[in-house]
Amino acid sequence: MTTLVDAATDTAAGTSPPGAPAGARRRGTLRERFPGLALPALVWYAVFMIGPVVAMFVIAFLSWPGMLVTPTFAGLDNFATVFADETFWAATRNSAVQIVVGLPVMIVLAFLLAFYVVQKPRGHRVLRYLLFIPALISAPATAMVFYAMLNPDGLVNGILAPLGFGGTAWLADPSTALGAIIAVELWSGIGYSAVLVASRLDGVDTEIVQAARIDGAGDWRIAWRMYWPIARDFIGVVTMLQFLSMLFNSAQNVLLLTQGGPGTSTTTLAYLIYQKAFVEADLGYSQAVGVVLFVIGLLGMGAIRRVLRATH
Amino acid sequence: MARRTAALPLRDRIGSITSGTLAWIYAALLIVPFYYFIVSSFKDNEQIFESPLALPTTWDLSNFTTAIDQADLWLAVANSVLTTLFALLLTLVLALPASFALARARGRAGKVVEGVFALGFLIPSFAALFPTFLLAAALGLFHTRTFVVFLLPATALPLSVVILTSFMRTIPRELEEAASMDGATSLQVLRQVYLPICIPGIATVLLLNFLSFWNAYLYPLILIGPDTAQRTIQVALPTLKVDAGTDYGVLMAGTLFTLLPVYLVYTLLQRQMQRALLSGAVKG
Repeated sequence: MTTLVDAATDTAAGTSPPGAPAGARRRGTLRERFPGLALPALVWYAVFMIGPVVAMFVIAFLSWPGMLVTPTFAGLDNFATVFADETFWAATRNSAVQIVVGLPVMIVLAFLLAFYVVQKPRGHRVLRYLLFIPALISAPATAMVFYAMLNPDGLVNGILAPLGFGGTAWLADPSTALGAIIAVELWSGIGYSAVLVASRLDGVDTEIVQAARIDGAGDWRIAWRMYWPIARDFIGVVTMLQFLSMLFNSAQNVLLLTQGGPGTSTTTLAYLIYQKAFVEADLGYSQAVGVVLFVIGLLGMGAIRRVLRATH
Repeated sequence: MARRTAALPLRDRIGSITSGTLAWIYAALLIVPFYYFIVSSFKDNEQIFESPLALPTTWDLSNFTTAIDQADLWLAVANSVLTTLFALLLTLVLALPASFALARARGRAGKVVEGVFALGFLIPSFAALFPTFLLAAALGLFHTRTFVVFLLPATALPLSVVILTSFMRTIPRELEEAASMDGATSLQVLRQVYLPICIPGIATVLLLNFLSFWNAYLYPLILIGPDTAQRTIQVALPTLKVDAGTDYGVLMAGTLFTLLPVYLVYTLLQRQMQRALLSGAVKG
């Protein structure tokens, strides 16, 4: 994300002081040209973050059927196994549903919420306070609350029973389990996205909006024809943030709520990586899926950037 | 604004009505689970199932004591506090000099290093959980809090460095040059000139990372493991969920207990926390 935002600001910043560099460069000592004090952080970051990702790419090409077995080179065998595996395709389907259904719903609702909040209606302070709540709560705490609400005797069925629907085991029924996981993600994602989008919409010049109103534009038009295009590139950044979070972090909710079941109905790609590595100890398979997920992440970011590129 | 909109014909207000309705429905969806789990933590299973939204008949704290005993929550809180504090400290020790150097760097090397940190946002560190686990084993730190204290700052470095660097860029170079004339070393310049000015940036970085370190789940789960002497609060909490016959009152009491420190900080530092969360994503 930062790359994108920063790339823009960097070029802007880089071109702004055109006069200064010539003299400065001549005076530049090695100390100034090479940021030596950044080395410890860089090394730390390389060892703990970049190292494991590089190792992931290596392990994806090894045959390593368990911690105590010596790994051997396997070429593309892991990928062949992965692509021939029913479970992998089930996981791909689940991740696709999660993103294709969950992400647009989250972003559109977050935008409408943000649009409402920036009009400063009665109670907007309370709303802003509440919208932050999901961002504060850890994944285990959120999951435990939903676990209690969605169990067959929980709050959701308690409310639905008088209406004649009752007794659904939301997390244990193959037809509702994935929906329940997506609902938990929407619950925690909408608020934070809305707050972020609102911070961008706050900066929109109210005079243009007033002028449009005088010209007879309704709220719906103002929201979609004015605010949306203005905030479009920023909404793109928020969308990418939530896309990566859904793609990678869904494993936590799945692990805490359903462990991928019933059957494979909630096994997402991220959870499959976890399951293969730490439950089934099929390490080459797990990391091959990791590589696939990495590629999907990059492709998805590119697609989002294309769809929500700045138009002005 | 509200008065103005009221004067508009209905057709033009559809947008506000729709988004307003959605907003308050969502607000209700945020509040109801809270209310439910807070009242549930004072009830037993039967009361929770029979009348989920009723206030508890007694404000009995026995669920809390059971949760604390059953999952060793005090010990887990102590572990979380230790892990979070040391990880925060290490983050600052690494990120401050790095941001200082990057903010002052004029050459291409600085740009490249900054780019490397910025790319960090794309790293699916979670997918690389297994190699991270191997690294812990290789360092002889598997199943220890120490490794998580080492690892968490690395995950926080990209964002922390980006935020602090942008703060330090606003400091005029003349200030530093004047200090260097007086014979101050780089580290003295950092401590005496840059640090005091960067306090708001440091606060942002600390709050943001406090949230992510305190709330971290998968890393502590895999790397610290189930040992009650070492595990953090986030790992301890789900152990209250039992496949056969969870005591929901106890589970909700444990959840409430886990959330208290975060709410305490949020209530005390609401403004700063909101600003931190905003800059966290705007920069990130």
